[in-house]
Amino acid sequence: MRWVLKDEYDVVVVGAGPAGSMASYYASKNGAKTLLVEKSQEIGEPVRCAEAVPKLEEFNIPPSEEFVRSYIKGGYLIAPNGRRIEVRGGKTEGYVVERKIFDKYLAIRSARAGTKIAVKSRVVDLYPYEDGFKVKIIHLGEEYTVKTKIVIAADGMESSVAEMAGLKCKKNPMEVCSCAEYEMTGVKLLDKHMMEFYFGDLSPKGYAWIFPKGDTANVGLGVIDKKKKAIDYLNEFLEHPILEGRLKDATPVEFKCGGVPVGGPIEKTVDDNIMVVGDAAGQVSPLTGGGIYLAMSCGSIAGEVAGKAVKKGDYSKETLMEYERRWKERFYNTLMTELKYKNILQKLSEKELNIIAEVIDGKLEEVDVKKIMFKVIKKAPSLLKYFKDVIG
Amino acid sequence: MRINYERCGYCGACVGVCKSMAIELIENRVVIYEERCKRCKACIIVCPLKALEE
Ligand SMILES: Cc1cc2nc3c(=O)[nH]c(=O)nc-3n(C[C@H](O)[C@H](O)[C@H](O)COP(=O)(O)OP(=O)(O)OC[C@H]3O[C@@H](n4cnc5c(N)ncnc54)[C@H](O)[C@@H]3O)c2cc1C
Ligand code: SF4
Ligand code: SF4
Repeated sequence: MRWVLKDEYDVVVVGAGPAGSMASYYASKNGAKTLLVEKSQEIGEPVRCAEAVPKLEEFNIPPSEEFVRSYIKGGYLIAPNGRRIEVRGGKTEGYVVERKIFDKYLAIRSARAGTKIAVKSRVVDLYPYEDGFKVKIIHLGEEYTVKTKIVIAADGMESSVAEMAGLKCKKNPMEVCSCAEYEMTGVKLLDKHMMEFYFGDLSPKGYAWIFPKGDTANVGLGVIDKKKKAIDYLNEFLEHPILEGRLKDATPVEFKCGGVPVGGPIEKTVDDNIMVVGDAAGQVSPLTGGGIYLAMSCGSIAGEVAGKAVKKGDYSKETLMEYERRWKERFYNTLMTELKYKNILQKLSEKELNIIAEVIDGKLEEVDVKKIMFKVIKKAPSLLKYFKDVIG
Repeated sequence: MRINYERCGYCGACVGVCKSMAIELIENRVVIYEERCKRCKACIIVCPLKALEE
């Protein structure tokens, strides 16, 4: 494998998660000589995810049995008093996948398009060099320097690579959801095609989840809390009365943990010769913490733009800005609106959450937050104080 | 910053909030470069497993 690290490239993508594999796929497809660098010895490992993804058709990726574990038709949003709101269809439909296999599948797909991949290879520094970067990589304790025109930083939550080039992408700790999760077998699900979301004090400023996953289920939660740790909340959740003993006979087969950046996108995702994608760029839904779809979409755009830039022989910030313009056009407003909703949700007390669940009463065709808010305010005017900023 | 390797789940959340670039995750081993650490405690806050202590 060493020869891969002794070559020069048009594009070096750092991190073989969904963002990096999609970015490198499109860079290769558009003719750029591309290297994908992953520090783990196995792509997809360790998993830091609840593994729910929306439909993948727009990416031309068939939902293969190889990685799909459950088909999801929707979810139950569960208030602290146990009242359930059912949401089906639209954006809530999708799959729970085996990320280890899914991530590797995406990397293989990229390799088939021409991408070279280096595993167990860690990027430790970037140096500006002529019109590009020298990328310092450590592989099996040896140092390699790889020259490239463009770097795509897709290093996930860690967000170090773009910092090496002077971009700001480290996150504020109060805007990171701290998560712990057991994948368990023997879970009694409410419905094997429905995700379960639990809100309230059992998971402050976040939520707890149970996602069906074939023979298992991902049981986890994310919190923002200075005092108590996610793992402690999780252990309490496993025995929580709201579950009515549905985990009594369940036993774990895997433990996962991680941080989700829920503070919205970073300010600058582009500079001369570099683009930032995925978690590193804060491209994550602040409301749900879902980042796979955004990582794949924004990664695709970055790869395409890199390919075009290489054809043009122009890797300047101005040229690469096409990436920022395009991802913002598609997602920026939604992300900022979700950020506002998240801030409201985080302020609601258990009592207020119960009131909202009561007002919605049962089923929701689609999560249209505005509609829900008007309904809620009509029945419980005291909640107006939270919503006025968003409605105005 | 002290790290309890028996507790750490090598998730990299601490790395992502360290603005001083004082933490690195080398596969499943967290390394803290004390000389860069500004004692801001951001890493302690986000760690889901209480693997970090002052
Ligand atoms: C507990 C938890 C549950 C979640 N659940 C969901 C969910 O159900 N649905 C959903 O859509 N999202 C979920 N997310 C978020 C989702 O996991 C991320 O948004 C998604 O993985 C981001 O993809 P990415 O490609 O940007 O980064 P990642 O998937 O994190 O990939 C980054 C890669 O870069 C590598 N890397 C890092 N630094 C270097 C370096 N210096 N050199 C080389 N390689 C490097 C890493 O090893 C890693 O493989 C969850 C997150 C957590 C923590
Ligand atoms: S205390 Fe602050 S500076 Fe020190 S390692 Fe933790 S996050 Fe980094
Ligand atoms: S946040 Fe905690 S569990 Fe995760 S890598 Fe850092 S020390 Fe380990």
